[in-house]
Amino acid sequence: MIHLSQVIGRPVRDQNGESIGKVADLIVAVGERYPPVTGLVIATDRRKIFLPWSSVATLDISGARLNTSQLDITKFRQRQNEILLKDNLLDKQIVDIDGRRVVRVNDVSLDEVEGSLRLVAVDVGAAGLLRRLGIEGPYRTLARGLRRPAGERYIDWEDVDPLESTIEAVKLRVPHAGLAELHPADLATIIDQLTPRDRAGLLASLDDEAVADVIEEMEPESQVDVLEELKPDRAADILEEMSPDDAADLVADLSDTARAEILSLMDKTEAEEVRELLGYPEETAGGIMTTEFIAVPATLTAGQTIDRLRELEPDAETIYYVYVVDDEGRLVGVLSLRDLIVARPDSPIGEVMIDEPVAVNLLDHQREVANLVARYNLLAVPVVDDEGKLEGIVTVDDTLDSLLPVGWKSHLPKRFPGSAR
Amino acid sequence: MTAPPRGGGPVGPSPLRFGRRARLAAVLAVLGPGIVSGFADNDAGGITTYSLAGARFGYDLLWVILVTQLALFVTQEIGARMGLATGQGLTGLIRERFGVRWAAFAAFTMIAANLGSTVSEFAGISAALSLFGVPVPVSAMLAAVAVITLISQGSFGRVQYVFVIIGVVVSAAYIVSAVLSQPDWSIAAISLVVPHGTLSGAYMLAVVGTVGTTITPWGQGFIQAYVVDKRLRPEELKAERLDVLIGVLITNVVAAFIVIACAATLWTSGQTDIADAAQAAQALGPLAGPVASTLFAVGLLAASLLGLGVVPLASAYTACEAFGWEQGVGWHWREAPAFYGLLAFFIGFAALFMLIPGLPLIQVMFSAQVLNGLLLPVILVFVMLLAGDKRLMGSLVSGRINLALGWTVTAMLVVMSLVLVVTAVSG
Repeated sequence: MIHLSQVIGRPVRDQNGESIGKVADLIVAVGERYPPVTGLVIATDRRKIFLPWSSVATLDISGARLNTSQLDITKFRQRQNEILLKDNLLDKQIVDIDGRRVVRVNDVSLDEVEGSLRLVAVDVGAAGLLRRLGIEGPYRTLARGLRRPAGERYIDWEDVDPLESTIEAVKLRVPHAGLAELHPADLATIIDQLTPRDRAGLLASLDDEAVADVIEEMEPESQVDVLEELKPDRAADILEEMSPDDAADLVADLSDTARAEILSLMDKTEAEEVRELLGYPEETAGGIMTTEFIAVPATLTAGQTIDRLRELEPDAETIYYVYVVDDEGRLVGVLSLRDLIVARPDSPIGEVMIDEPVAVNLLDHQREVANLVARYNLLAVPVVDDEGKLEGIVTVDDTLDSLLPVGWKSHLPKRFPGSAR
Repeated sequence: MTAPPRGGGPVGPSPLRFGRRARLAAVLAVLGPGIVSGFADNDAGGITTYSLAGARFGYDLLWVILVTQLALFVTQEIGARMGLATGQGLTGLIRERFGVRWAAFAAFTMIAANLGSTVSEFAGISAALSLFGVPVPVSAMLAAVAVITLISQGSFGRVQYVFVIIGVVVSAAYIVSAVLSQPDWSIAAISLVVPHGTLSGAYMLAVVGTVGTTITPWGQGFIQAYVVDKRLRPEELKAERLDVLIGVLITNVVAAFIVIACAATLWTSGQTDIADAAQAAQALGPLAGPVASTLFAVGLLAASLLGLGVVPLASAYTACEAFGWEQGVGWHWREAPAFYGLLAFFIGFAALFMLIPGLPLIQVMFSAQVLNGLLLPVILVFVMLLAGDKRLMGSLVSGRINLALGWTVTAMLVVMSLVLVVTAVSG
């Protein structure tokens, strides 16, 4: 294995041992798991020239040896899928997908894989830093006395997500495939550490639902920041993917004009739900409820109800309870998913449901809601209006939000304690 | 009612702007980095250096203050611009653009200058408390405890406003005191706009000290980091520029009046050296009479604490960013050992430094400002090289006039530092 820093600046000799110049950069073609080196940039006395990898016989820490003495002095043009290791990667920030952090590249490791020299890892450890600073040797002497070797830390290229601004010179669309597979909460933590430009690039590569999931994991302040950085029509699409209560909370923090604009761009019914929720005070059951719930008439059988659930494909947080309503939409009973599954398929749900379920009024304070949820160990509690009509449900996670202190969600890496706005 | 549009035309399609929160806090939110930086500029070293300048040279250095403030506006605006354009701190950009060695060089320059500044803030606290008879070792320990409390999560955010308010009161006291002491306004006015002076070593020291306490390496790091931290956006450049301007005006007016007050009291009465805080406090005599030293002590204390809340953090942050280590008070100490280690080093070094017996506190503070002034050109050269980089700054790249001004300032500082070194060497 060799490090990029060990070959940069080393002499380049042709077939006859004649010195031509120095190694200025290495070019790799991304796309494969370990990107192969495809060329060499050589700094000669007057200019930088490009050499395809096929003309290079050997490359090691003593320098490069060519298998030709014929130099084609074409000017180097970076191709779409190519990265210059020194110019585009070294000292730049990358996302360590495994460690869920944004780190700086101290060095780049290359190794022989499947018969060709490839980029295999980036060095983000203290050892790499010392090597770059040229004080690895002195430190090692010192460290032997202290018994504190410099920490080595490499990130496999597979776990690296290069950022937009790193390779902006290249018209490369970073797919961010590795990041997209992270849990939304982890992704939210990473996004908080990115520069605005990188954040925009990353969000652009994710689909609306993924962005919605990420935003739901963020602090309210960051949520608004991220939403404001998006174009209004994209923001509207993302809000449609969020549950109406979360969307309403977020939209409530926007200015009147921004709110009007974004609601007008949203799907009619979704926008209507959000508008309705915006009408309730923030700290009431109406303010924290979601209008996504499952309500069925008492006349269905357990089997029919399960079929209905399959059709609706409800979100995870709403599936645990099925509410039973009369013709007027008034809440008459509730069934848990368990009740439904253990009941015989042909029995009417009116017989297996729990009558007169626990419910809260639209204007009840969120603390009372939390108390009820805690006392009866509920996963969700139905919200009714003065006539007893079912209007929405409050899920347990939303009651938790009201109990926990502000700022528990993800810790923003703030540098200065006074800079929150 | 919607918020008034801030900033110039945004690039590309207009993003959603100005949330409820933003509207409510629009002024406080954006009017932040420049103003905090402006107040922190009038820290212990600032008050001391301006006092010394007035006592030693009367009104002679007023023009330096004016020129320095103009230069401060140029450099702070560029710093804010870089934060807005890149979302990164100063040393991070230096690393990306010039490589790890230059970044390390910049980081160590920052650390050296900021060690001086931190010592200076500690000396300010000790000098202030000495007016109440508190011995230096005790006040140094108190200062260490205070700064740790300040920068531990949460408290500085609120407490900084208390310091700012005290800062305003003390600044007002200097202004009133300057007026009451019946200075020679015509000489003061002429001195403000007509450059003059001598090439004597003492005068050059005072000039470099004055510049060094106003335009600081930490100030450059701080404004950029704070802009990034607050997540201000490129569209907010105009508002941020206003914020910087207000911050500079605050620094400027206060600095000028400290000089005038000291010139009209100390210098006029022939007391051209300030040996301790009690003497510096005499400049507030015309206003406060017998309680002048109490007023001065409270002001110096608040200024030092405000500085301590900013300087060590900005230093540790800048150093860590150069090496790519986790930085900021949002991290747990186990997650960011280098950051907290550096903070501890700054505080520990300053506290131990104060234990040197018989330390001339006023001289320590002044020398720290001269050190800052000498190291400043190094940082400014990096700042200017980055500010003109179109690839990095995009649409926010500094215009030709800005760049010309910035390079002029930098060149002037380089020359000044060289002159100082030469005069110091040649005696």
